[in-house]
Amino acid sequence: MKLLTRQKKFNSFLPLLDILALLAWGILFLKYWFSEQLSLLIHPKYFSLALITGITLVILSVFRAWQLWRELPRSLSTSTDHINLLPKGWSSSLLLIAAILGLSIKPMVLTSEVALQRGVNETLPLTREQPQAFVRATSKPEERSLIEWVRTLNAYPEPDAYNGQQAKIEGFVVHLPQLPENYIYLSRFVLTCCAVDAYPVGIPVKIPQLRSHYPPDSWLEVEGEMITETLPNFATNAGATKTYNRQLVLKARALKPIPTPKNPYEY
Amino acid sequence: MNQLNNVFTLFLSLLVEAMPFLLLGVLLSSSLILFLDERKLIANLPRHPLLGAIVGSLIGFFFPVCECGNVPVARRFLLQGLPTSVAIAFLLAAPTINPIVIWSTHAAFRDQPEIVWLRIIFSLAIAITIGCVFSLQKDARPLLKPILAKRLSVLMYEKQIEKESLANQVEAKPILLQSGTFLLAKTGQAIKMEPAMAEKNIAANPKKTRQQKWRLFIDNVMQEFRELGGVLIIGSAIAASIQVFVPREIILNLGQDSISSIFAMMILAAVVSICSTVDSFFALSFASTFTTSSLVAFLVFGPMIDVKAIGLMLSIFKPRMIFYLVILIAQLTLVFTLSHSYFS
Repeated sequence: MKLLTRQKKFNSFLPLLDILALLAWGILFLKYWFSEQLSLLIHPKYFSLALITGITLVILSVFRAWQLWRELPRSLSTSTDHINLLPKGWSSSLLLIAAILGLSIKPMVLTSEVALQRGVNETLPLTREQPQAFVRATSKPEERSLIEWVRTLNAYPEPDAYNGQQAKIEGFVVHLPQLPENYIYLSRFVLTCCAVDAYPVGIPVKIPQLRSHYPPDSWLEVEGEMITETLPNFATNAGATKTYNRQLVLKARALKPIPTPKNPYEY
Repeated sequence: MNQLNNVFTLFLSLLVEAMPFLLLGVLLSSSLILFLDERKLIANLPRHPLLGAIVGSLIGFFFPVCECGNVPVARRFLLQGLPTSVAIAFLLAAPTINPIVIWSTHAAFRDQPEIVWLRIIFSLAIAITIGCVFSLQKDARPLLKPILAKRLSVLMYEKQIEKESLANQVEAKPILLQSGTFLLAKTGQAIKMEPAMAEKNIAANPKKTRQQKWRLFIDNVMQEFRELGGVLIIGSAIAASIQVFVPREIILNLGQDSISSIFAMMILAAVVSICSTVDSFFALSFASTFTTSSLVAFLVFGPMIDVKAIGLMLSIFKPRMIFYLVILIAQLTLVFTLSHSYFS
C-alpha cells in the first residue's frame, strides 16, 4: 500500500521533471549562445539553429508548466499509442542530469591527447573539403595560416617546392612519440560539423631546444623557414615498423607562447 | 582528468549539434496530429504490391518520424486495413526517407554527399524489396500479435458486412439466430463483439476539437522529446567514450577492413539505438577511421533495426516475423554496402 502511494507520488512528480528537463536544456543552449562557448562545440553554421532550439525549448517548458498549473486536479494524460523504452522518469532524469552537468562544467578546448588518438596527418582527410589552395597559393607564404599551409601542401604535395619559404603560423603543441626530441608538432583542429569530427592537421617544427620546454597543449606562434627533412612517417600506427618520408618541416627561428584563441578551431 | 574532460566536451558537442534536429523532428511528427487525416490517406493508396511498397516507403517523406514514432503510425496503418507490403515498406523507410533526416545527414557529411545519396537509395531499395516479399502474404494476421490480428479480423468483418449489405440488403435476423461472439452489454443485452470492437476502433480516432488537438500535440512533443532525448544522451555518451578511450589501433584495424568494418558498424547501430534524425552525427565520430561503406551500413541498418526498434516492433509483430525482418535487412544491408566498397 505504502509502495503504491509512493509510486503515485512519483508519477505526479513526473510532469514536473519533464518541464525542468526542457527548461534546463533551453537555458543551456541560451547560455552557450551568450557566453560564446558554442564555437568550442559546433561549426558556426549551426549557431542560429542552436539559438532557435534554446528559445523553443524555453517556450515549450513554460507552456507546459502553464498547462500543468491550469489542469492540476486532472493528471496529465499520456497517449496510449506510445511505447516506452526506458522506465518511467529515466529519460527525463537523464536529460535533466546532462543539462545540469552542461551548465556547471565548462566545455574545454580539445587537447593534444585527442589529436594523438585521432592520428595526426599533414594531409586533409577524405571527409574534408578538398583544397581550393591554388587560389590561396598566390598569397605570400609568410601570411599563410597553418591550415592554409596544409591545404597548399595538399594541392601540391612536393615538399621541396616550398624549401626556403618564410612562414609564421599559430597552433598548439603536440608531442609526437615518433619524432625526435627536438621536434614538436604544431597542430590545429579542423571542424566540419562539431567537435566530434574535429580533425587534427599540422606541420612538424624543428626547435633549437628540447621539446620539454614547450608542454603539450600550449599555444605557440612560430616564425621560421620551411625546410625538407627525412623524418619517420608519423601517419602510421605507433606499433608498425617505422617508415621514413621526406617531409616539409618548419625550422623555427622564433617561438612565442600565445594565449589560447577564443575560437581555437578552423573550418 | 583531461581524458574525462575530453569525453564530456565531445558528449556535449554531440548533444548540442543533435538536439535541434531532434526537436525539429519531434515537432513535425507531432504536427501530424493537427493536420493529417490518416484515413483519407490510406483510402487513396495503391493496392498493387510493388507500387504499394514504393508509395509506402515514400509516404515517409510526409511523416517526419523517427523509428519510435513510425511504429505506432505503422500499427495504425495496419489496423486501418492498409496492405502489409505498404505498411512494412513505410515502417522500414520512414525513419530514413524524410526531410529532417536527409538534412541532418547532409549537415554531418557536408563534404561527402555520396553518403547522403547512398543512404537514401539503399534504404529505399531495402524497404521496397522487403515490402514486396511480405506482399506475398495476403493475410497479415499470422504475422501480427494476437491482439492486433483480432482487431484486424474485426475490421475485415466490418468490411465484409458492408459489402454484403450492399449486395443483398440482408433481412434483419433475430440476434439469437446469428453466429459469432457476443458480449454482455451494461443494459443486460447481448451485443455482437466484432461490431462493438469495430466501433471502439473508430472511437479511438474520432474527430477532435482544435483545443484537444493542440493538447495532443503538446503531449506528443513532450513524450517523444523525452523518450528520444534519453536515448540520445546514452548514445552520445557511448560515442564520446569510444572516441577517447578505445585505443586507436583497435579502431583502425577494425575500421579499415572492408568486411569487419561493415559488421562492426551494423552491430554498433543495433546496440546504440540512436534516433535516425541524429544518428549521422554519431556516425561522424567514426568518419576518419572507418570506411565509407561501413558508415553507410550504419546509417541504413540502424534506423530499421536496433534494440529499441525491435522492442517497439514487438508491439506489432510476432517474434518470428521480427526474426525474418532482422535477417533479411541485415543481409540486404551487407550485400549493398559490400558491393559499394567493392566497386568504389
